[in-house]
Amino acid sequence: MFGMRPWTVLRAVVAAIYVFMLGPIVITVLVSFNAGTRSVFPPDGWSLKWWAEALSEEWIDPILFSLQLASLAAILSCAVALPLAFGLTRHRFPGRNLVVLLVLGPLLLPTLATGLGLLRVFEFSGLIGSMGFWTLLIGHVVICIPFAVRTIAVSLHGLPSNVEAAAASLGASRMVVLVKIILPLIRNGLVAGALFAFIHSFTDINLSLFLARPGASPITVKILGFLEFGFAPTLAAVSAITLIIPLVLVLLVQRSARLGDFIYGERGA
Amino acid sequence: MWTIDGQGAGRRLPLHWFLVGVPALFLLVFFVLPNAFLLSASVLKSENQVLTNQFTTENFTIFLTKKVYLLTILRTFVVGISVGLLVAFVSFPVSYFLVRTRSRFKGVLITLSLAPLLASVVVRTYGWYVLLDRFGFVNDVLLKLDAIQERIAFIPSTGGIIIGLAHALLPYGILTNLASLSAVNPNMERASMSLGANRTKTFLLVLLPNCMPGLVASFLLAFSISISAYATPAILGGYAAQTIATLIYAFIMQVLDWSLGAALGTILIVSTLAILYFSFRFGGKRAEV
Repeated sequence: MFGMRPWTVLRAVVAAIYVFMLGPIVITVLVSFNAGTRSVFPPDGWSLKWWAEALSEEWIDPILFSLQLASLAAILSCAVALPLAFGLTRHRFPGRNLVVLLVLGPLLLPTLATGLGLLRVFEFSGLIGSMGFWTLLIGHVVICIPFAVRTIAVSLHGLPSNVEAAAASLGASRMVVLVKIILPLIRNGLVAGALFAFIHSFTDINLSLFLARPGASPITVKILGFLEFGFAPTLAAVSAITLIIPLVLVLLVQRSARLGDFIYGERGA
Repeated sequence: MWTIDGQGAGRRLPLHWFLVGVPALFLLVFFVLPNAFLLSASVLKSENQVLTNQFTTENFTIFLTKKVYLLTILRTFVVGISVGLLVAFVSFPVSYFLVRTRSRFKGVLITLSLAPLLASVVVRTYGWYVLLDRFGFVNDVLLKLDAIQERIAFIPSTGGIIIGLAHALLPYGILTNLASLSAVNPNMERASMSLGANRTKTFLLVLLPNCMPGLVASFLLAFSISISAYATPAILGGYAAQTIATLIYAFIMQVLDWSLGAALGTILIVSTLAILYFSFRFGGKRAEV
């Protein structure tokens, strides 16, 4: 349709960009199988010893910590986001735009500043000594809310409000409408929202940086702290594990919910 | 008695008041309040690592008068602009290809382009260390090709930060440009060509004006994320090339100087708000839920 040449050139350029995009990630994974003690590419031979070290308690504990944090953050942010998304898609009220800005705020303003501000608030209220999992969780719920609200809102937009009206007119109570009609119909949106929130929380650094404490530190912050002392291949293996977890989750969810719809919907809404 | 949107006796409290009110309260306490605290701390004086109640503008003037700090702020914005431009222009051909291709691998290619978003920045930056380090892959290759005689330390450097961040933010650019390009009807390009315009003219006069909002949006998105990014500058820039984010970390966690840390945080917030204003005003993008 365009003749061969320019399209061929474009293909070559795009192929090069894909190598640029995926290369460093593939290299990180390959380096983790290195037999030598330095992180070099191409590896000086193959070995699983760094993976054995990565699977030791020292690294598994923070990975489990991050898993718990991200799972709870995903569930709680969806619990907060569901009524918000419902209120915003089904009702028009004065100050609605302000609420929209408030909800998208954590996505629009630098996460780093929110983390810093939260640390200041916890310090000010004397909670600094008891900071740990719960304070991190609060921060993570805050930064995950925009993702959850937007994704759930997309699925609510696709659900005609007649459905609720019909159920209500047939005598269903509000609770019955919610549990029996709405939730099953927006199941995919909820799952996708929880997944996006989970990934956002699991890969976060900018917020956790200021709220993490020794013994209560997500895996990303822990890796970052160790990188200061050098790029040991163990860290490559640990990094690879943190990449596998969201990847497996996405593949599992993709089987039932079409995530693409929500990514496009998110942009187009 | 209060009832929720019902016909019960007494005053009616609309349902949305509850739906929106309770979560909004959560965000007010844990999002708006912290940011307000941060902004206010930026005009308060610190004495012996403790924030006092004295008002001062010193926290900001010190950044303008000390060369090291001024350089750090400048570097941050240079990084932001470079990353923004790189992301906008490198992601554009990919998005264009993904929108127009008829390959049966289209779905796989789209997924692959977004897959890096699943990795934390640590994973995405680690590989760049292996490539750019003095004893890294790029040096090895250049030595073998006799292009260089001695090993060069590509990192830590500002250039390293720019490459690392552009790499990390590319998927956002692709996503943003995909949205704007998929709205451009391919027939417009065919019409332009059939009316005698050559490829360059068609690109410059037909395609580009139509997807300008996407290009601008991807620039602004990459810019605003990169000026407040911490991990990539910390790994690839280190102390040799500090940015606002790494300086904030040093102030708050190492020097324990809240005033200066908060002032730098304020600079980040204000810059981000300026970018947002700009993108709403000129990009025609509206925040919606």
